[in-house]
Amino acid sequence: MAAADEAERMLPRQNPDLAGQEQAERVLLDAYRSGRLPHAWLISGPRGIGKATLAYRFARFVLSETSGGAGGGPGGGLFGAPLPPESMAVAATSPIFRKVAAGSHPDLFIVERRYDEKAGRLKTEIVVPDVQGLGNFLHLTPAEGGWRVVVVDSADDMNRHAANAILKLIEEPPKRSLILLVSHAPGGLLPTIRSRCRKLVLKPLDETTLSELLARHRPELDVDERRVLARLAEGSIGRALDLSDAGGVELYRELIELLGSLPRLNAGDVHALADRLGRRGQEQAFTTLAELLTWWLSRALAASAAGKAPADVIEGDGGLALRLMAGRSGTQRSGGAGLDRWLDLWDKLTRLIVRAEGANLDRKQVILNAMLGLEAAARH
Amino acid sequence: MKLTIERDALLGPLAHVQSVVERRNTIPVLANVLIRAETGKLSLTATDMDMDIVETVEAEVGAKGAVTAPAHTVYDIVRKLPEGGQVELARQGEGERMAIKSGRSSFALSTLPVEEFPALSGDKLPHEFSLPASELRALIDRTRFAISTEETRYYLNGIFLHGTKNSDVPVLRAVATDGHRLARVEMPLPDGASGMPGVIVPRKAVNELRKLIDESTEAVTVSLSDSKIRFAFGAIVLTSKLIDGTFPDYERVIPTGNDKLLEVDCKGFAAAVDRVATISTEKSRAVKLAIQPGLMTVSANSPDSGNATEEIEVGYTAGPIEIGFNARYLLDITEQIEGEHAQFAMADAASPTLVRDVSDASALYVLMPMRV
Repeated sequence: MAAADEAERMLPRQNPDLAGQEQAERVLLDAYRSGRLPHAWLISGPRGIGKATLAYRFARFVLSETSGGAGGGPGGGLFGAPLPPESMAVAATSPIFRKVAAGSHPDLFIVERRYDEKAGRLKTEIVVPDVQGLGNFLHLTPAEGGWRVVVVDSADDMNRHAANAILKLIEEPPKRSLILLVSHAPGGLLPTIRSRCRKLVLKPLDETTLSELLARHRPELDVDERRVLARLAEGSIGRALDLSDAGGVELYRELIELLGSLPRLNAGDVHALADRLGRRGQEQAFTTLAELLTWWLSRALAASAAGKAPADVIEGDGGLALRLMAGRSGTQRSGGAGLDRWLDLWDKLTRLIVRAEGANLDRKQVILNAMLGLEAAARH
Repeated sequence: MKLTIERDALLGPLAHVQSVVERRNTIPVLANVLIRAETGKLSLTATDMDMDIVETVEAEVGAKGAVTAPAHTVYDIVRKLPEGGQVELARQGEGERMAIKSGRSSFALSTLPVEEFPALSGDKLPHEFSLPASELRALIDRTRFAISTEETRYYLNGIFLHGTKNSDVPVLRAVATDGHRLARVEMPLPDGASGMPGVIVPRKAVNELRKLIDESTEAVTVSLSDSKIRFAFGAIVLTSKLIDGTFPDYERVIPTGNDKLLEVDCKGFAAAVDRVATISTEKSRAVKLAIQPGLMTVSANSPDSGNATEEIEVGYTAGPIEIGFNARYLLDITEQIEGEHAQFAMADAASPTLVRDVSDASALYVLMPMRV
């Protein structure tokens, strides 16, 4: 249990392991070894696949290179030039690793959402005061005499003013400075920022890697549960761990069982679920259920539009999707008015859920509402 | 780690180092002071990652070791302990807590791992020289008022310290400017300083250093590389990053051909400017100097509050001239002039004016006039 707790709380900058991103690592390493390292990188890809972990891994590597750590430092050795570094790994016990993990390396500047003391939670975005020290940091000499590294995690969180403030520094970066921007949705960034960065797109992890990672971080799960999690998470270890901690597999099973009786839902079961998730302390479970519901719906939509059933995550969920979206007759060709209706529902639900969290709507009512919507869509 | 030290001997060093610790910190370990016990002595380190201060003091060390604890809390505790008492500092268990005991008071503070504490100091810096604290104070005092606070011109946010020659005499020179005024102060180049790179010392380090050497009468050892500077005096060592930029070619803006020479009694002039400036608008703070042979009229005009004039006798023989200045800037400069008389060398109402102390050639100031 202690191990699980630790793994749960581990931040990307404290994580010594990175799995399944060898290709991206190679790109960074090659760029470094070429001696012409682009000063700004945009590391993008879905949430929870190791973007920030890779950024910190590269940061540690670059910082240790300059202090003569991993690769013997700059300059030639006694017996010719030192061998070029083959790996980015920096030992988890090294002083550089410890300082990066604590955020206290003098040549590293971390831009992330700060804790809002008044509201008692993380701020919803990165604001100008959070990036204000950055100019000062980049305009002072590096403490170790080597690189100055900035990690922005994530660039999507920056509001417009913060993004503009950082843009100035990306436009005119001082020598030997490296800016690593992590982004889950690079399309939403300022085009002026995007165009000044070297892009590095990370791929979702494959199912094998994901299962292995789950086995390491959540050894208490059985094989079957790991397999379901891996499929639900679609290549994101972050999402898999979140789902696992929130009881996502159980919730998903419950949800599919409930939806199995569509177009007519069992009112008693629906109310029982809504009651349970509406209670105090069930915020996490509610969010997870809402996520799973919209995820199932969007996946079902995509597959139905192509005229086939989505692959099963658990027994029967793919078939259920096809049955519902194909319409009541079951023979009618999918598409046309039928799919439109489901698309509208998906759109409605997504917005309802966003509003529910933003405006603190009654969670019970939100669930009932969503279920009624599903019934209505299925009855046509 | 375990050590015993007199409360009074601990308080001073703690006060010195804790002043660099920011009140609000997003990185937890930066709120802490690193306490390290070695044979017969105790060293305290605090940092904001741009600079750090280390102070060493004698102590009775029972067990060597190191710990980090919240700087402001430790300082407040020690400050409130009765004078003349003995304080015991000890690491508890595996280092999760640090105990402070004195008389019948005892405290246990939470700590953070020593490995997380950032280090700036430690390495050897290639250039080293020393100068009396009083000389360093003079260099700082007479330049720092002109340091720019404008972030876009970050290379002006500090004092430019470099070795050069003034009519073939090697000098160590400090220059600061904000684009409206410039201060240039020099002293004979200390031994060992030749060949040092020109460096820009950030404002925060300058201010912290100035506080620390206020009472110091000893020599200050300065060592530097092109990325760091270190000041060591007595038991204190201050290490700072430098500003990574190129200081502009300031010689270009120092006028050489200004022929309208004005000599004023510095104190009387400053007092007059200060009085008249009461009227000038809060925003511009402009005062006008109308100068004719033997007499200067200082005046200010504000559409809101009225106007003021004051006449003072001056030494002036060139043709009449009217020139405006920011009163705050004039006062900043006259404050630094210790001699009785200040000399202004002007060209016209739109060109930079040179100000210097008649009895001291080591400092000169350049001031841009204002249109009035």
